[in-house]
Amino acid sequence: MGKNGSLYKPLKCELVKVIDESPLIKTFVLVPEQEFSFATGQFIEVTVDGMGEAPFTPSSSPLQKDKLEVTVMKTGYVTDHMHRMKPGELMGIRGPFGRGYPLEKFYDKEVLILGGGCGFAPIRSLLFNLIAISDKLRKVTLCYGSKTPEDCIYKPYIQELRDTPKFEVLRSVDQANGNWNERVGVVTVLLDDVKMDIKNSVAVVCGPPIMMKFGTMKLLEMGYPEHDIFLSMEKNMSCGLGKCGHCMMGKYLVCKDGPVFTYDEIKDQPHIWN
Amino acid sequence: MNRIAIPKHEWDERLSQLLSSLDLYAPVENDFSCDYVKLDTDTIPEISYNKPKPVTPLKNFFLPVKENVTDSTNGSPVVLIGAPNCDVMALAFLDQIYLDQEYDDPSYGDRRDRTTIISFDCLSIQEHCHCTSYGIEPVGNKFADISAALVEEQVILSIFTEKGESFVQKLGIVVASTPEENLLEKLQTQQKEVKELLGKQNNALPGYEKTGELVEASGDEPWIKYASDCVSCGACSAICPTCSCFLLIDRPGFEKIRQLDTCQYPGFERVAGGEDSLGHLKDRFRNRYMCKYVWKPLKYELKACTGCGRCIEACIGQINKNELFMELAN
Repeated sequence: MGKNGSLYKPLKCELVKVIDESPLIKTFVLVPEQEFSFATGQFIEVTVDGMGEAPFTPSSSPLQKDKLEVTVMKTGYVTDHMHRMKPGELMGIRGPFGRGYPLEKFYDKEVLILGGGCGFAPIRSLLFNLIAISDKLRKVTLCYGSKTPEDCIYKPYIQELRDTPKFEVLRSVDQANGNWNERVGVVTVLLDDVKMDIKNSVAVVCGPPIMMKFGTMKLLEMGYPEHDIFLSMEKNMSCGLGKCGHCMMGKYLVCKDGPVFTYDEIKDQPHIWN
Repeated sequence: MNRIAIPKHEWDERLSQLLSSLDLYAPVENDFSCDYVKLDTDTIPEISYNKPKPVTPLKNFFLPVKENVTDSTNGSPVVLIGAPNCDVMALAFLDQIYLDQEYDDPSYGDRRDRTTIISFDCLSIQEHCHCTSYGIEPVGNKFADISAALVEEQVILSIFTEKGESFVQKLGIVVASTPEENLLEKLQTQQKEVKELLGKQNNALPGYEKTGELVEASGDEPWIKYASDCVSCGACSAICPTCSCFLLIDRPGFEKIRQLDTCQYPGFERVAGGEDSLGHLKDRFRNRYMCKYVWKPLKYELKACTGCGRCIEACIGQINKNELFMELAN
């Protein structure tokens, strides 16, 4: 994108499939009118024509160029409209924007991933990428928490992951029901069960702000250095270009300087958890 | 830098001849204030020289309040005459955001490319002018294409850029005369007097960097006190030559409308789900100062406040940020 094109004109995409992940979360499979690539952890702006635009980190593999997926919780004006959309309708995307996960820093390390709720969306994209480079990694442990078993997303994918060498998945729910045989409690309880070689490990956190906060605190307690905790921050990223100012977080513009930051980069900035 | 002098009547005549090929804007006094008008043969002789700040900040020529940014624009050449240096430096600050290497904003960039800026030296001051407190001179420099001053019915032009040279060529002056020594001396004396007046007017005002330290170190109390007179109208940001935050509005057909916005409005940082880190008025009020004096200086080289004082004049709650800073300093 540069002077000859518009930074603001969305690339049109056909919505080809809508997958119900949970009562409030759907995955939208989009086919852009031209190839589209992104790096894992980067985000895009999704336009619902005439209604509005919202930022999402794709949940699909960054290695796939002909289509992409966004997993969206129904939680506001734009997402309400998205949840009413049907296959065949058009959407728009702009991007990709920002700085994604620095995968080269994960090489020869154990990767601990802490995710909550819809925060699994960016993590799934990361996991696709980590599987592709698994020969360079020691192991990957995913700790994922949701409110109830019904709110757990990507259920078939969890099983695939559990069958993948070097990958393990631990799950918890805040409130269990009869069919749940994994952990009960907030997602940080899973950290009591993991066995990581912390000196040779990095941690990734993505989820609701309150979970990010307590997750990060727990990782620090466990001994993870601040520069080895990677956080995917969520602010009101609007233009994606570091211009509109809506996602300012102290000296950073989350859309351009992030959305992935290490904890030591942002710990002194204001409002990081809200 | 090349310097020439032109008798005012000849300058006016030459500008009139350019009207058919260029859009020219300059400040002209009206019943209430002084503001930019699109020049015609009647208004060229009435251009207001040597005075500080037209009502409209320079940014509005490059970032209209509302515009469709879906596709690139390509407009015709424009010459802006009479911007004070505080506004020119504010525009240079905005260039850092809008013309950054990664995302060069097309409509802003197009306007910058096709606009020649002729700044006016300020040879008088207004009540709230405080540029020199922030290290900014009240006279033109290389961030403008040309700077101009009117001294004894001679327009003295200091030409800084190729765009400036090209404008002078368009003026069609066959033999440019170098300003006489006594004319330049007179100009320099007036410039010096203006700086002294500014220094005197703002002698208790902390400098730019010091202001950042004070804003950062302060507790809640002064912000609660001053914010009690704020109604979140956003006038301070609208009139500010460096405030440039915007909202993107969607229109059918995947059109995007850019509308200037401000962190002073509720909901500016609200995210899906309702979390809003600037939900309280006092936090929004302080945010604007943190942005200008603490955070932006960490990110950008040029200053995010150039001391024009318009925000003080525009505030319907009569909040005087300079009083606030002096209170923080004591």
